Amino acid sequence: MPSELFVVGTSWRSAPVSVREKLAFHDEELESHLKSLVAHEFIEEAVILSTCNRVEIYGCTSKTAPASAVAHAAAETRAFISQSRGYPAEKLSEVLFEHLEEDAIRHIFRVASALDSMVVGESQILGQLKSAFGASSNYQSLGPVLGRCMERAFSVAKRVRTETGISRGAANVSSVAVELAKRVFGELDGKSVLVVGAGKMSALAARHLRADGAALIRVTNRSPEKAIRLAEEIDGIACTWEDLEIELSKADVIITSTGAREPVLTKKIMKKAMKRRRYKPSFLMDIAVPRDVESAVGKLEGVYLFDMDDLERLVSENLKERSREADAASSLIEGEVRQFHQWMRQQHVVPTIRSLRSHFHEVAAAEVEKAMRNLEKASTEHERQEALQRLGKGIANKLLHAPTTVLKQASDAETLADSVSQLFSLASEDESEESSKPALNQAGLAEPAGPAKKA
Amino acid sequence: MAAEVVTTPPQMAFYVAMTSYVVASVLHLSSLAQVPDWVGRSARWAVIVAFVAHGVDIGWRGVEHVHPATSVREALGFLSWILIGAYLVLSRRKGLSVLGAFVAPLALVVLATARLSPSGDAVTGLSSLGRLHIASATVGVAVFCLATVVSVIYLMQERNLKSKNFDGILFRSSASLETLDRLSARLVAIGFPIFTISMMLGGVWVAQREQGFGRIEYPIAGVTWLAFAALMLGRSMRGLQGRRAALLTLLGFGAAMLVLALYFLRRSVGI
Repeated sequence: MPSELFVVGTSWRSAPVSVREKLAFHDEELESHLKSLVAHEFIEEAVILSTCNRVEIYGCTSKTAPASAVAHAAAETRAFISQSRGYPAEKLSEVLFEHLEEDAIRHIFRVASALDSMVVGESQILGQLKSAFGASSNYQSLGPVLGRCMERAFSVAKRVRTETGISRGAANVSSVAVELAKRVFGELDGKSVLVVGAGKMSALAARHLRADGAALIRVTNRSPEKAIRLAEEIDGIACTWEDLEIELSKADVIITSTGAREPVLTKKIMKKAMKRRRYKPSFLMDIAVPRDVESAVGKLEGVYLFDMDDLERLVSENLKERSREADAASSLIEGEVRQFHQWMRQQHVVPTIRSLRSHFHEVAAAEVEKAMRNLEKASTEHERQEALQRLGKGIANKLLHAPTTVLKQASDAETLADSVSQLFSLASEDESEESSKPALNQAGLAEPAGPAKKA
Repeated sequence: MAAEVVTTPPQMAFYVAMTSYVVASVLHLSSLAQVPDWVGRSARWAVIVAFVAHGVDIGWRGVEHVHPATSVREALGFLSWILIGAYLVLSRRKGLSVLGAFVAPLALVVLATARLSPSGDAVTGLSSLGRLHIASATVGVAVFCLATVVSVIYLMQERNLKSKNFDGILFRSSASLETLDRLSARLVAIGFPIFTISMMLGGVWVAQREQGFGRIEYPIAGVTWLAFAALMLGRSMRGLQGRRAALLTLLGFGAAMLVLALYFLRRSVGI
């Protein structure tokens, strides 16, 4: 029986984080776990993918394993997870899923393409899958089938990304803020950022901006200690609260996240700041609740103000857009799954084809050798012709001997006979008779059928 | 017996150009919605075909001595060709292919107006100075036209951002405000000296023809020049940019279009 793929695991769809964290594998454990997995009787190749949203084991049975091996291999993997994680098997069955053969290929392709991710189209999973692939390669638990499947999954993921809009638009608040800022400024290289307030969200947003090229990040807060601490954390510069108005006029991007009950940035303050910066665009991101910026500020020339609701609305619209694209991605993946499955099936027959060719060549070579000897001895033309005829008959008889014997003795002879007919494009007896009649007629060697006979 | 219709090579090129402009316009306008990438790519190819066919048409007519500087009608056809050429150069940059949704239909309308409208009487006494004036004015206005399209996109995108209209046309497909503003400024900086030379040549030409400067088009052309001069000065001296700069560009180009409309009106009533 040829190799078959299987997937056993759990993800955010089937298990809460409290379970997933118990089942997670750490990097340092991978070597020993992968080795013990491939030591199982029916498991030839294995990959362990362990992320915050999924714990999955991808495996492949050996090509010498029996037909039921894939189900056994999946059962062995379930037992392995239970044992290695110290998690009761009966509880585990409630959260584990299992995919075999074509379904397993489909699952791997969908995971790589982030169609199975919590945030459809996210890019992190592909990196995580590549790391898992790298670890399995290093610890020699990968072979020609699962290895090829994983490599194919990476190129499918690339196709999905480039040919569909599945990863279009940012999918979290901080990234959306950067996306919006880019709609104003294009690239953020060299842009100055002012963080007003020392909240965690503003630190996260500032880091995103920094990663996108923002040059100078200044932090101001009513409590200077907190401003200094945050500035150190994000590699920025702390400035005093008293300089707020001047700093506002210098900054291209302003993030506010104070704990104030009343708006900190009023229309009056921002009007002055905008006048000072000659109405150069100013991107304001108010992520505080209650809001730090008066809504009237958004009406000022050159000011682009977005609050938490706006950012979340854009995230949700981006996600809706991605879901719409997921259908196109799914049909693309289906085509790839069919192709890969076909390749796997071809791999199943390749050894048989190889043996068949080698057997035929061996038989032919032996008979040719015999014929050569006979030809050397032959003195007349007649003897030479006989030697050649013997060669043809010899090859045919030798090749036909084994299949003829098996066909005669087999219990399912009819099925085998059908297969042989199919393999050698043999016409059935009826068909042979049918087809021979017109041939004879055309050749004029037989009596014409029907009316001619009557006449 | 029906008359035999003979399609000459320039006519054929004109029809190919017109058809390609129609196709490009439809594809470009549909690519404003979230459509597969191939729509945008096909739109660009349609524009390229139109540009080549239009170029062949202009070249062939030039061989037959009907070149762009012979009349305002011919100049308009040439203007739409320059517009498309400039678009093809600019659209290679990210987020600027959106210009095609404006430029392709515009080129189609301008070319159709120029070629399908009645020609009227030929301009008499067109000296080389007059031809130079028409040619340079055409190039200058074509560049201003592109700057205006960019400014319109700027205003639409700014409106999307101000009103937080994340589903608005152009929101996802357009370049950033800063890119659009900078591009508009550069285009005006290119078009302004050409237009200034054209104004000077026009002044000398009119003086030579001794027709006087009493026509209404002349002060309006002056408004165009003043608007763009103010824009250039404002940008360099006062940091003028964004919405105000876009509106001033629209004002200048609007005045240029008024000059053209008055010219055609006057020609059609034969004054």
